[in-house]
Amino acid sequence: MSDHANPIPSYMKVFYALLSLTVLTVVAAKLLEFPHSWGTPGDMLHVSIGVVIAVVKVLCVMYIFMHLKFDSKLLRAFVAIPVALFIAMIFGLMFLEHFSYTH
Amino acid sequence: MSSALNLAHEPLTKIPSGKLAMWAFLASELMFFSGFFGAFIVLRSGNYDVFGAGSAMLDWKLATLNTFILIGSSLTMALSIYHLEKKNNNMFRLFIGLTTLGGFGFLIVKWIEYSAKFHHGLFPGQEHHTLFFSFYFLMTGFHAVHVIAGMIPMGYMFFRSFSKDGYPYPWKVETLGLYWHFVDLMWIFIFPALYLMIPYHAAVAGH
Repeated sequence: MSDHANPIPSYMKVFYALLSLTVLTVVAAKLLEFPHSWGTPGDMLHVSIGVVIAVVKVLCVMYIFMHLKFDSKLLRAFVAIPVALFIAMIFGLMFLEHFSYTH
Repeated sequence: MSSALNLAHEPLTKIPSGKLAMWAFLASELMFFSGFFGAFIVLRSGNYDVFGAGSAMLDWKLATLNTFILIGSSLTMALSIYHLEKKNNNMFRLFIGLTTLGGFGFLIVKWIEYSAKFHHGLFPGQEHHTLFFSFYFLMTGFHAVHVIAGMIPMGYMFFRSFSKDGYPYPWKVETLGLYWHFVDLMWIFIFPALYLMIPYHAAVAGH
């Protein structure tokens, strides 16, 4: 842990990024409240924007706050597999369900 | 001591055992939350109006405030680890204390939110309860239990830091830090899923 430089600037960058992305996700959700119902591209866009912003935030936290940037490749692979499966499940279910209710 | 019992040797993976164990635990926790999110997505699709109307009744402003609190406590957690590794016990105490306060703040806001929901009869078993509120209480309640569980060792570390030599185990704080960031990560998903994905007609009906 002692071989890398002062991590505080990158912590602060992630902190500001997380705050901005939170504001962005709220603003996007509120702006996109146009009339739509299930099965329209509008709702899918609405949900996808929320999930994509959440995934970006999660990767920021994992990479910097949880120190994966400084960890070995082995640990990164160990972590990447369940996280990738989780994100794949979220997107997979979202789209499958979306199409199953689109007629 | 025989070599077979020598636990001080460097592990083959070069990853500290406690850290690897915490990541494995977090992977199992992720599976726990996967069940909730999977069921939530499938049932939301089949009960769009119920979920939209429920979502519109939630207080997204309080939830946004709680998101900010958790992000702040994640930052102070990372800073407390940094300062303990630099053997700066006073700064460690300040930041672990702030992290614990963040946990308290989160729970207080959560309690304000919950009281309003109880008052409106939305808890399972009450008269206005819907399927959406089962998910709301299950997911946010399970998450709040995680916040409480993280605050217990955090409070212990805070009080131990007042002892003569300060808190002596930076790797334990680092391992707890992984857990605390995970709790933040799950909130990052719960927040848009429950509070923000409101269809327009439900949003109008809810106000």
